[in-house]
This record gives sequence, structure tokens and C-alpha cells, in this order.
Amino acid sequence: MRAVRTRELVLRYVLLLAVLALTAGPFLWQLSTSLKGPTEDIFSSPPKFLPSHPTLHNYERVADTIPVWDYALNSLKVATANVVTNCVGSALAGYALARLRYRGRRVTTLVFVLAMLVPVEGIIIAQFTTMRELGLNNTLIGVVLPGSIGAMNVLLMRNAFLNLPYEIEEAAYVDGANAWQRFLRIALPSVRGTVAVVAIFAFMGAWDDFLWPLIVLSDPSKFTLTIGLNYLHGTFANDERLVAAGTVIAVAPLIALFACLQRYFFRGVGEGAVKG
Amino acid sequence: MVSSTVTGVRRAESVGRVRRVRRQLPTSPWLFAAPGLLITGAFILYPFVSTLVNAFTDRRTLIPGEFVGLANFRELLHDDMFWIGLRNSTLYVLGVVPALVILPLLLALLVQKNIPGITFFRSAFYTPVVASIVVVGLIWVWLLDERGLINSLLETVGIGRVGFLSDQWLLLLSAMAVTVWKGLGYYMIIYLAALANVPRELHEAAAVDGAGAVRRFLTVTVPAVRSTMALVGALSSVAAFKVFSEVYLMAGPSGGPAGEDTTLVMLVQRTGTGLTGRVGYASAISVVVFVVTVALMLLVLRTDRRGES
Amino acid sequence: MSVFRRALAVAAVCAVLLPLSACGSGDDSGGSTDASGKVEGDITFQTWNLRANFKDYFEGVIAEFEKKYPDTHVKWIDQPAEGYADKISADAAGGTLPDVVNVSPDLVAPLAKAGLALDLDKAAAKYKKEYLAGAWASHRIPGMTGTYAFPWYLNTGPLFYNKSLFKEAGLDPDQPPKTYDDLFADALRMAKESDGKVATLANVPTIEDFGRYGVELMNKEGTAFAFNDAKGVKLLTKYKELYDAKALDPQALTATPESSGKKFLTEAVAMNPGSALDLDNFKKQAPNLYKNIGITDQITSTGHVNMYVMGVMVNSKTKHTPASVAFAHFVTDAEHQMSFAKKVAIFPSTAGSLDDPYFTKEDGTDETRVRIAAAKSLKNAVNYTPVLFSEQMKTALRNEVAKALQGKESPKAALDNAVKQCDTLLQQQG
Repeated sequence: MRAVRTRELVLRYVLLLAVLALTAGPFLWQLSTSLKGPTEDIFSSPPKFLPSHPTLHNYERVADTIPVWDYALNSLKVATANVVTNCVGSALAGYALARLRYRGRRVTTLVFVLAMLVPVEGIIIAQFTTMRELGLNNTLIGVVLPGSIGAMNVLLMRNAFLNLPYEIEEAAYVDGANAWQRFLRIALPSVRGTVAVVAIFAFMGAWDDFLWPLIVLSDPSKFTLTIGLNYLHGTFANDERLVAAGTVIAVAPLIALFACLQRYFFRGVGEGAVKG
Repeated sequence: MVSSTVTGVRRAESVGRVRRVRRQLPTSPWLFAAPGLLITGAFILYPFVSTLVNAFTDRRTLIPGEFVGLANFRELLHDDMFWIGLRNSTLYVLGVVPALVILPLLLALLVQKNIPGITFFRSAFYTPVVASIVVVGLIWVWLLDERGLINSLLETVGIGRVGFLSDQWLLLLSAMAVTVWKGLGYYMIIYLAALANVPRELHEAAAVDGAGAVRRFLTVTVPAVRSTMALVGALSSVAAFKVFSEVYLMAGPSGGPAGEDTTLVMLVQRTGTGLTGRVGYASAISVVVFVVTVALMLLVLRTDRRGES
Repeated sequence: MSVFRRALAVAAVCAVLLPLSACGSGDDSGGSTDASGKVEGDITFQTWNLRANFKDYFEGVIAEFEKKYPDTHVKWIDQPAEGYADKISADAAGGTLPDVVNVSPDLVAPLAKAGLALDLDKAAAKYKKEYLAGAWASHRIPGMTGTYAFPWYLNTGPLFYNKSLFKEAGLDPDQPPKTYDDLFADALRMAKESDGKVATLANVPTIEDFGRYGVELMNKEGTAFAFNDAKGVKLLTKYKELYDAKALDPQALTATPESSGKKFLTEAVAMNPGSALDLDNFKKQAPNLYKNIGITDQITSTGHVNMYVMGVMVNSKTKHTPASVAFAHFVTDAEHQMSFAKKVAIFPSTAGSLDDPYFTKEDGTDETRVRIAAAKSLKNAVNYTPVLFSEQMKTALRNEVAKALQGKESPKAALDNAVKQCDTLLQQQG
């Protein structure tokens, strides 16, 4: 029996390592390229996995070329705002869809389902025109607004609330708690896991978006990091190492953020479901 | 989404009957939903309504259009590119969805058990989801290049170099592989949540009965996460039908050799954007995309329902 | 819920939302076309991907302008390389186009047709003589009278080739091909000697290739395309032969400028177009290759190389026409183009500038050699890209060319199709 367990465990780790190579390998290759110095031939074949003289020079060059910290700060503002609005807005709407009874609930659900199906690529100019009419073009608020309460997140929250047993709230209802109190004190704390999922999605979405911020913003001092990094693909020159360093700068904060939150994230995901 | 939506609604109704006595401020549900509805309405649905209207005009980026009736839709029928786009978007659904329904489930089973270091693996498997698609595109184009890392490795093991980025079918397949690669972690999380729901006793009972791992998977796990599989199927098929970035980044703006890898949303982008964009015609394609995704949702929903009864 | 009530709910939602966007579409208060007034006011100047490398230069030019005209204030915004056309489209459609905009001729054409670009033959005719005649004419649009942007910098790339690959194929590394016929012969030989491993070209023919081969691209009136004539078919037939022999890279059908540059760097392709700046890039990225790089003129059978023209247009809706015109002229005048040219490998479009010693005197370095050769060829260069050739037309041509190369269509049929599609697109541009 013990031998079987050990063998199973070994097999598990072998599989885990294989998948790890597949998912993390490409990022490490990019990291390696970004650390290669100017004298190293990055197009050599067979490829060299490790830089022979690792250097941070390419990162310094990125910072010299564009005001990378200003852009990162703008991205951080946008992403943080997006997290707050999405968590609050979709929790509220999700709760209404799942737990409150009112006329038109089905229609509201339908509105969010349909919104999720709209191909965004086709409506971007119409979105911009609306934004301009609201006088919010060229503002960070304009960048955040269209995705500030994602339909997908609303539906995720709705599902999470639906999975909660009714009994918990029933007790509070008998105690005379109104909808707001039941939402805040009982329902919301029970779906922390899904809130964490929504938070991560919202942060990622805002941090990674390129076309919409580009179209809304005109003033370079308001640019976000993804737009800024695009300057590295010059019209006049294109340097693989610099691009690699740029991509690492774009991805690293997300990975760091996720690494910090992951314990909570995974536990939350599990918790939310166990109660269902 | 829809499958569980519907079962959820049914459940809420049955419970609602019991609690008919509840008094509520009549405005409060709307207050809860208002922010979400306002944002969705103003920035997604309203622009989409104008897209619907545009589909019946010959509007261009800088020239307001005139009503042309069904002319755009008639033109679609004779547009080779439209049929290529429809074919590729459909193939994308057929290629990507089965992989995204099954592989993340297996992955979730692999990382479900708490063994030392498992949180590290879970996080590492999730990194492709976190990275922006542009970054992912850059990385994979460089990896799949004719002289890139993957081809160098293939040559060393004696298979020889493969034109991943030059053959029309291999390109589409490579893009699908990237979609699956990026989606694995995302759906793995959804499955992990669902698996936590499967009572351990079921597994143990099956194990006592002497059922092997494969049989336990088929008789215990799969039925338990069936509705989650339907959810993943619905989400991934809608996303796959609307695929844009992966193919655009790997096959280029013109859609691979002779445009043979163009997807429908790429066609929307190509015909409708820029200063000379044909907004009306592109809107007509958007409408088709919308109608097909609605149909896809309904289809998944129906198979799920039929399975239930 | 009944269908009726559902419809009512949707209507209610729309009624709430529609007023949001119904306002504000009637503020088309047009600017004046008279540039003779006092130069004053706040204007915005938009460039295309120049901030990263030339921030100091532009801040200097703006400071100088504001000093000369103390009542003005210029706000400079720069947009990244990607998505520029999308950005301008959104601004043009939304009425937020800046006062002075960096454009290329294909961007000017639709803006001029929509009445958003100021006609400089009317507003700035007095400056016309300061520019090369060909450059000034590059922002004229077939079917319209007038000129819609100041010519700014010109660019023409040399062609780089890999001397060691030429040598290995038994070709003279000091006698690179000059015309398309030379090129085809050398390319076939290269493919044969390397057993199909080394291609000479990485890109399928573009509209500029047809131009340099001597094909008439459009009819005289500029109302229809004509590149499907016998000469055009001959060029494509020849390219098909190269493709079959692997003298044209098998990945050419999906090539991008970046990917073909990479192919050249990895020595999978023997020739690649570029600019003087690429030399620096080669030095850094592929030091082994740098030693073997040869530099020659663009392949052409007409005796004229192709040039790209950048322009600076004035928004016809600007509230400060005199200041905008003055600034657009200021940026593109001989003095400032010359100082810009000394910062980066571009060429001024102002009359006489190319005779400056900077463009005529050798100093022994590769960079200077490339610069002088390019300046010389620019004097009789032609902007082969038709002003009306849109992004959608480029894709149509590219896809039809690919079909011919794959053998799915004959070269003749492919070009006929491409011309038909481009003509349709041209008419739809309105």
C-alpha cells in the first residue's frame, strides 16, 4: 500500500513538473532574453537558455526611453479603481439577481447575459463617441468606466450568491434585517472567494488593456503602461531585448500581485464552493 | 453560465414561494442593480444598439450612412472572406472547446490534493491567465518561429523544422494551442471550486467497491461536475467564436496566407476600423457574430437540460 | 414575463440612455480657412511615435515657436506606433482631432474628403515654393483640388544583403542586383546552390514593388486601379517562380516587417529592406552578421526608387487657424527639417536641403555612406503608394497575391480580382 502511495506521489510530481515547464517555461525564456547583454547573439541556434553575462542594462534602457514609473502609476490607478468598482458593483447587482425578488429580474439577468455576448471590437468607436459626449475622453475615469462593472463579473457574483444556502439569510430575515443588512453582514462575507476572483480579473483586465485606453487618452502624461511599452516598438528601430524587458515589466507586477493573493484566492475559491 | 443561471432561477422561484410574506422597500432591488445596469446599458448595450442600426446603413468612419436595407447582409452571402471567417470561427469552437472542457478538469484533479508545494504549482499554472494576450502573442510567435526554440528542439530530436507560422492550418492550430494554454489555469480554478463540492464519501465508497481511477473519474467526478462542465463549455465556446487576438497576433492583420486564417471578429476589425472603415458592413458582421453566440449559448443550455432530465 | 412587457422594459432602458448621447453632435463650429490673422491661441500638435527618441528635439522646437509668437501655447502629444489609424479615426469621428496632426498621405485622403483637413493651396500657398515640388504634390488627392498637408520628412530605405550568403552561392558579393531581372536571376541561383535553405527575399510583392517594376498602378484620372496589366502579371508570375523554388521565403505569405527583419538577422534570408538606423540594430543584435552586411540601393526597374512621405496637416475645424498653419509650417521648414534630419536617418522635403554637405560629403563611416546614397536616390524618387490605397486595399492585394503564389489562382486571375476589390473599395470610400 505504501509503495503504491509513493509511486502515485512521484507520478503526481512528474506530471506537475511537466505542466510547470509548459506554463512557466515561455515566461522564463522571455526573462532570459531580457537579461542578455548587447554583445550576446540572441538569434544563435541552437538557442542559449541562460544569458552568459546577465545584465539589467535593458531595464535601465526601458526606463530611459519612456517614463515607465509614471505610466505604471497610471496603470495602478486605473486597475485599482477597476477592482473597487467591479467588486462593489457586481456584488450588488449579483445579489439583486440572485436573492431579491422583483419585477423585471429576468430582464435584468438577460441584459447582463446579452452584454457578455456583444463583440467589443465592433463597438469601440461608438463607445468613444459616448465618452466624448459625457466629456470624459482623455481622463482616467473614461478609461475605467466601460469595464467598471463587467457583465461577466455580475453573473459570476450572481452564481456565487445562488450557491449560498437560503437558511443563513432566512434567520437574519426573521431577526428583522433588511436587504442591505443581509447583503453586507451575511451574504457578502460568504462569497469572499468569488470576490477575490472578480478582483483579480478586474485588475488583470485593466492592466492589460491596450486599444481602449489608447483611444480614450490623448495626453501622454495620462498614458498607461501597456500604451507606454508600445513605444518600445519604434518606427525606426526594433530591439528584441528591449521588447523582452518591456514584457517582463508588464507581466511581473501581475505575477507578484497574484503570488501575494494566491493563498487567499485559492482558499476563497474553495470556501465559496464548499458552502454551495 | 446560462445552465446554472437557469437552474438557479428555478430554485429561487421555489424558495420564493415559501417566503411570499417578505416585505421589501420596492426600490431597493433596483438600487442594487442600478450601477451595473447603467454602466452596461450606456457603454455596452447602447453602442451595440447603434451597431444594430448601422448594420442597415452604408455608414463609413467619416461619412454618415444612408439606410440600405438588407444590402449589407446580401453582400455577406457573396463575400468569400465572410465564409472563410465563419468557417474558422466555427473550427475554433470545435477545436478549443473540448480541450478546454477536459484538460482543465484533469489539471484541477492533479492540483486538488494538498501535497507539499501544491500552492506554488497552482499559482504557476495560473500565470498564463494573468499575462496580457499581447505579451503572450509576442512570446509564442518567438517560440514557434521557424528558427525559434520549439523548432530547434524538434530538429534536435530528429523531427525537423515545422512551419507553424506559415501553413494555414498549422497557424490556426497553433493559435488554438495558445488559447488553450492561456485558458487552462482559468478553467482549472472554476473546476477546483466545483470539485470542492464533490463529497469525499462518494469517492471513498467507489474506491471500496474496487473502482479504478478511470472508472471513479467517469462515474463519480464527471457526474458531480457536469453542470460546471456545461458552464465551461458555454463560456469557452462563446469566447472561442469571438476569437480575435490570438489569431491576429500570430497570423498577422491580413489573416495568414491569403487571408485563410481570418476569423469573423478579425473581419469586423479589418473592414470596420481605420479612416476608410466600412462601419455599416462591419456592423452587419457583428450582428451575425452576436446571433451565432446567442445560438451557441442556447445550444449548450439545451444539451445541459436534456442531460439533466 | 410576457414578450410585450419585456419589450417595454427594453424601451424604458433605451429611453433613459438615449438622451446621454443624443446631445453634442451639433457643435461643428468650423474654423476659418483664413491663415492671415494674428498668430495666437492654444493649439495641440500630435506626432506619431516620436516621443521616445526625440523628446528634447520637439520640446526645443515648441519653445522656439512660443518665443517667436508669445501669444501662443503649443501642447505636444505623441501617439505610439500601433493603433495610430484607430486613434485618428476615433478622434475624427468624435470631433476631437488635434489642431496640427502628423499624417501620412493615405491618412490625409479620407480626412480631406470628410472636410477635416485644411486646403493649404488656399491657406498657405505662399509656402509652397519652399518645398520639393514632388513632396508638395504628395498630399494632393485624385478627384479633389487642393493640397492637404505640409510635406515633412522623407524616407527611403537602402537594401541590405548578406555578403557571405552571396559568396556561398557563387555570386559576386560586390555586385548585388540592381533591377528586378537581376534580382530574379540571383535569387533562383541562391536557392539552387543552397538547396532551398536560403531565400533571397522575405516579402511578397507590395504595391510599391509593382510601381518600381514599371506597372501603371492607376488610370490617369485616379478613378480606378490598373495594376493587372501584362507587366503586373509578369511580375507576379516571376514571384511565383521564386516562391516555388524557395527563393522567396516559404513564410513570406505571413511575413511582417519584424519577422522578415528577424529572418535576415538569423541568416535565413539574404536581402532585406531597411533604413540607416537598422545598421546600429544589426551591430547590437547580431554582431556576427554585421561584418558581412552589404548595402545597396532599392531594386528598381524604372530608375526611380520609392520614397515614403510624412506630412503635417492642419485641422480645418481648428479655432486658431493662423497659429496652426504657422506652427505646421514652422515644424516643416528647411531649418527645422534639417536639424531633425541630423538627429535621425530621415530626409528633408524642403527645396535645396538635400544639397547640404551633410548629405553629400563622405566621412568614411557606413552610416554616412548609406545617408549619401539615399539622399542621392531621393532626388528623383517617386512616392509609388497611391494616396487612395487604403489598409483594406493592401490586405486585398496581399491576399490575392498569396493565392497566386500558392497556385490557387493564376497570376492574371489574382490581379484581376485584386483590382476589382480595390475598385469597389475605392468607390465605397465615397
